[in-house]
Amino acid sequence: MQHVPPVTPVQKKQAAPRSVLQDFAEERSMIARLSAEFPALAPDATGINRRSLLKAMGASLALAGVAGCTSQADETAMPYVEQPEGETPGIARWYATATSFAGYAQPVFGKTYSGRPVKLEGNARDQATRGAIDPFTQAALLGLYDPHRSQAPRYLGQPGSWTRWERWSVEEAARLDRNGGNGLRFLTGRVTSPTLRRQMANLLQRWPNARWHTHEPFSADEAHDATSAVFGRPLDRHLRPDRADVIVALDDDFLGPGPWQVRHARDWSDKRRAMQQGQGESWMAVAEPLPTLTGVTATQRLIAHHDKVALLVRGLAARLGLVESPPILEGQEAAWLDEVHARLQASRGTSLVLVGHTQPTEVQALGLLINEALGNWGRTISFRTPVAALAPEGNRSLQVLVEEMLQGRVSTLVMLDTDPLATTPAALEFGAALANVEAAVHAGLYADETAALSHWHLPIEHPLESWTDLRAPDGTVTVVQPLVKPFWSVRSQHEILDNLAGHQNTLAGHQNTPARAIVQQSWRADWGVNFEERWAQALLDGFVDDTAEPTVVPAVQSRAAASTAEAAEPAFASGLTLLVRPDPTIWDGRYSEIAWLQELPKPITKITWGNAVLVSPALAADRGLANEDAVEVLVDGRSLRGPVWIVPGQDPATVVIFAGGGRSGGLAEGYGIDPMQLLPANGKTVVSGVELRPTGEQMPVATTQPHHAMHGHDFVRSVKREDLPDLEPMLEEHPSFYPEPDWSSPSWGMAIDLDVCIGCNACVIACQSENNIPVVGKELVAQGREMHWLRVDHYHEGPVQEPDMAFQPVPCMHCEQAPCEMGCPVNAAVHSYDGLNLQVYNRCIGTRTCSSFCPYKVRRFNWFDFTQEDPESLQAMRNPEVTVRQRGVMEKCTYCIQRIANTRIEAQKEGRPIADGEVVTACQAACPTTAITFGNVLDPDTVVSRQKAQARNYALLGELNTRPRTTYLAKISDRAEPAPPSEIKS
Amino acid sequence: MAQETQGAEGTQRLERGEHITREITRIPQRFPPERVWLVCFAASLCLLALFAVSAFVLFRNGVGMWGNNIPVNWGLAISNYIFFVGIGHAGTLISAMLLILNEHWRNALNRFAEAMTLVAVICAGLYPILHLGRYWRFYWMAPYPNTMDLWPQFKSPLTWDFFAVLTYLIVSLLFWYIGIVPDLATMRDRSKKRRGQVLYGIFALGWRGSARHWQRWNQAYRVTAAIAVPLVVSVHSEISLLFAAGPIAGWTSTVFPPYFVMGAAFSGFAVVSMIAIVLRHAFGLHDVVTDRHLDLLAKLLLACGLMTSFGYVAEAFDALYSGEDYDVQTLVDRLSGQYAWSYWGAVILNFVPLQLLWWKAVRQKPVVLFVVGGCVVVGMWLERYMLLVTTLYRDYLVSSYGEYHASFWEWSLFAGMLGVFFTPFLLFVRYLPMISAFEIKEALFEDRGERKGKAGGASVHA
Repeated sequence: MQHVPPVTPVQKKQAAPRSVLQDFAEERSMIARLSAEFPALAPDATGINRRSLLKAMGASLALAGVAGCTSQADETAMPYVEQPEGETPGIARWYATATSFAGYAQPVFGKTYSGRPVKLEGNARDQATRGAIDPFTQAALLGLYDPHRSQAPRYLGQPGSWTRWERWSVEEAARLDRNGGNGLRFLTGRVTSPTLRRQMANLLQRWPNARWHTHEPFSADEAHDATSAVFGRPLDRHLRPDRADVIVALDDDFLGPGPWQVRHARDWSDKRRAMQQGQGESWMAVAEPLPTLTGVTATQRLIAHHDKVALLVRGLAARLGLVESPPILEGQEAAWLDEVHARLQASRGTSLVLVGHTQPTEVQALGLLINEALGNWGRTISFRTPVAALAPEGNRSLQVLVEEMLQGRVSTLVMLDTDPLATTPAALEFGAALANVEAAVHAGLYADETAALSHWHLPIEHPLESWTDLRAPDGTVTVVQPLVKPFWSVRSQHEILDNLAGHQNTLAGHQNTPARAIVQQSWRADWGVNFEERWAQALLDGFVDDTAEPTVVPAVQSRAAASTAEAAEPAFASGLTLLVRPDPTIWDGRYSEIAWLQELPKPITKITWGNAVLVSPALAADRGLANEDAVEVLVDGRSLRGPVWIVPGQDPATVVIFAGGGRSGGLAEGYGIDPMQLLPANGKTVVSGVELRPTGEQMPVATTQPHHAMHGHDFVRSVKREDLPDLEPMLEEHPSFYPEPDWSSPSWGMAIDLDVCIGCNACVIACQSENNIPVVGKELVAQGREMHWLRVDHYHEGPVQEPDMAFQPVPCMHCEQAPCEMGCPVNAAVHSYDGLNLQVYNRCIGTRTCSSFCPYKVRRFNWFDFTQEDPESLQAMRNPEVTVRQRGVMEKCTYCIQRIANTRIEAQKEGRPIADGEVVTACQAACPTTAITFGNVLDPDTVVSRQKAQARNYALLGELNTRPRTTYLAKISDRAEPAPPSEIKS
Repeated sequence: MAQETQGAEGTQRLERGEHITREITRIPQRFPPERVWLVCFAASLCLLALFAVSAFVLFRNGVGMWGNNIPVNWGLAISNYIFFVGIGHAGTLISAMLLILNEHWRNALNRFAEAMTLVAVICAGLYPILHLGRYWRFYWMAPYPNTMDLWPQFKSPLTWDFFAVLTYLIVSLLFWYIGIVPDLATMRDRSKKRRGQVLYGIFALGWRGSARHWQRWNQAYRVTAAIAVPLVVSVHSEISLLFAAGPIAGWTSTVFPPYFVMGAAFSGFAVVSMIAIVLRHAFGLHDVVTDRHLDLLAKLLLACGLMTSFGYVAEAFDALYSGEDYDVQTLVDRLSGQYAWSYWGAVILNFVPLQLLWWKAVRQKPVVLFVVGGCVVVGMWLERYMLLVTTLYRDYLVSSYGEYHASFWEWSLFAGMLGVFFTPFLLFVRYLPMISAFEIKEALFEDRGERKGKAGGASVHA
């Protein structure tokens, strides 16, 4: 059977199978027998039944009305003549699919209304992510609708056409056939797609002289060198933080942004939660040069220069007897190492030592051997064959390509979904090399810098509108199905490769969806006779079962790392060290066109719309620099001007610049600075010998939180772990003059466990996407007018050089005695019977009293009309269940009231109470660490009530007696020595 | 003999009365400083045009044109609102309260003070509407029958603001108009031009000066005055609740209502003194607005100023005595924060120059009094600004600290609002009797009677 339904919807609840009885009842013979037995039940022979009679009556009534009025239907409107099967307007359909993040599959459930995708959520059935989702993956939705995307092919900078492209590619294929692919080079990002790999393999087989190069910025593939050194072959590592009582992360931000984040955070929070219940430990030590999510979350954080981290690894190895001569470490570092060592020794086999991929290969290899010595191999850390295709030259792949291009050995360069011009160091001079190529073909989502210098630019399909397959970091395959047909004249990467092989899309056998046929071809052989069934199942599930790459612990080939690490004593470079890291919100710049992510505050600095030169307070004091002072960053004659931003908790000798800024063209133009200008040609992201030269000028930086010092307040509280069993309840009850309202059940409330919050921002984007929250741009953010209903506050306390840090997500508190409600003169801020603090938009006249009176300042005001001028494509993305707000009204978190209402309606239809866990707010659904719980606070058995019943449950600003429904669970501190005295520092 | 004297005194009094009537009514008829007035009027029309432009820009684009943000939701609009209502109160105090207290010296000042009240309340009333996100829905604050079956939210201080300002506007208008009717009749009678006779005649409501008219008038005037006086206290107390009702440290204090009322009277007396000095100088009214009047105004200014200063002390004491972190922090922010200039500006301008008024010789120097009044007006403006901004810019959570900088369009609207203030006031000065002629005559009569009575009484006892 050739026919396969185009897309298979996944209903959130499986529709009840059509009953056999129903089929039976409609059989002709059955009807005959039925009418003989029960004439009243038989269908009417005249064809007029009750329903059609009512219809006719309705129509005549309507016609009677027509005589009385002259209004006519809009002539341009198209009536819904035939309702598509299974499509009910206003009822959402869910499809399991995946987006790609740095080449890896991120499984999602896509929510669509009448064919319009409006929200991405995690795939609850996926074992690795379990329904959690990161900000990048959620924001892919905006990427799909982005009106700035490339919409048609271009040839030599002029609008081209796909027919012309096909003509060109057929000729090119013929030419390549003659010389065996001489001079043909492919350049891609990380490729995990089995279909793409199959296509590439076919092409390379057909043209043996062609070569395939890869360039994935911040791929962390340097770690492959370390496994090669130890095991003799490149291997991906597989971490099990859920089994680790003790984690020591040495400059390794494993909870930070990246394709692994959700998986690691999920597992880590499992362990943390077990510790909260008294099962096992969850102790983490971090040594790092700049504050990261992992560092903020850690129990013990040591600020260490990048080179110092190598010494710490060796010091730890020496204490474990792996290295002969221990490096000389003193004071704080030695004490830190002693404690780490003691903890690790006590948790052999249940500990995990991680060394960051920017460290020298031998140091990383030593890290692997430390885990072996601790008996962690196969328990908390194991390995697997790399999921992605590896270029033969490894990390030098791009450099080799550029050398060849410069030598004129490349005649045709095909760049698939990669923007090397913007993401390679300027010193590599990729642009100059590209000019040496006879025919450069660029296929990508945007007509970016690389596209401008290429002969052909081919717009590709967004993963959410295309057929493809991708593998998750653990190897699990997702067959990616489109949520919607492509909006524009774009093609999938598979089709473009197919065109390159000399095939035309329009040829027979390809029908309308050549990409689907190509993807199916990859799996048809494997799945054999069960193909149709397995294909449908794969689309339903959103992943293919049992396709994860098996984990292994191969035999050790060489332990030389121990001795070489010793030999390679890091020469502490004079001057400053520059670290270039992927941006926590726009990664390497590939998301710089996505306004949600540009306006998403970076976790530590809360900077939006651009990046800055991050320095420590000590360095700033030394150079007399203040925030927003423009400096010239100088390295080896290369220079870059950018604004300074002071980051407490950063290493004094380190300067950090996030990648992805300073793009030219498009939405991102003019925002941030591009550190690629500073990196050496080899692409190393750690550069020493950096100088800072103040220019005396100012460059504006837009931040959503200008002040981070907690000033001795107790916004974020923490309790000692040993005090936990006998802890007095932290939530104080204060008397009130107001009568206690009579709440009806369910009455909603939220608890946020600060002990597991890692500040990843997933909730912020989930809220933005769910609630149609507008983006306001850099200028308005700088004026304090950002619109996020849910913000993640970042605080630090203690000495400003080495502060304690914490995150605190702040939605509306839904105070039981809300000052905002008292302030509103027009009843726009009112309380619902089920405990919600409501904001009635169409009642609001914008006096802003509610916000003035709000102690938490969680309310957001439409200072201008933020929504009216949205491009049409963005309007299609809006959640139809949430009002789009007008200019001049106040808005705020609603506890996702539309979700509550939907659940209530469903429950009432079925005549049952709402079950616990049935209402899931958008932020809660996204949270990778399940820090957010939501439910009925009147029922003591709900998850949220049990959370709130914990002694460490407290109310933010509880002394104001607003009785917030959103409460927090204090962090649990497990530090050996007393916490440093909290001083007031700014 | 006695009769003779009385007759002579009567003639004298009539002459004196006639002189005053002539002196005051000649101003609208043969306006002496026409050129100066035209220049002033042209300038205030320009400001009015600026107001129109600023309001248009605001209405077209939204409140985002201003510098407001989260956390400083309110800015110049609300602080100016409080400021303008505040200066208005002085007019009511002078004319209504002193009327009830039978202080005759008020009669030289009450008319223009009331006119000032009226325009100030109009300016004040415009601000809350201008500042609304959806200004076209401002009437939702009013309790009116509607299909949505919704009432205003009576717990909100804003609802009561709406009532308060509206009531105050109506009462001020009535009081001013009732007070001016007899003089409008005089103007009607003395007008040489037909247009003047008709227009003044219409608004004189057929006043003939009969005893019955006077009796009714007296009742109406005094009853309205009796309503107006408590309004001064209630309106500004209410307005203080706009701040004090919220739970924000630095606002939520019981000191606020009296503190606000005193401040209002203080700023208002300063404005009245300045206007009195300017008018007296411009129209040569030295015999009507005498040095004694300036002296009394200066004394009132001094008294209110000292009470306002006591408010500053009480406020600081309140914060320190409570020992609440956030209250103390707000106080520290006021004294030394980013907006400390507004705090110290207010304290210094409101307290220091004022001390000159302890000396009678200084009180009677118009130039000095004018300068002191100017300082107080600026100082009180700064105080309103300080109370609003220093509280909101750093409230509770450190993470929501922000800054507020008024935008160009806010300042232009403020400048334009001065046009809204001065344009009607200049028209009033030009076309209406700006000093109550008949009340001065009445006062002259009664004063004489009193003095005579006193003198007689004394002689009897002697």
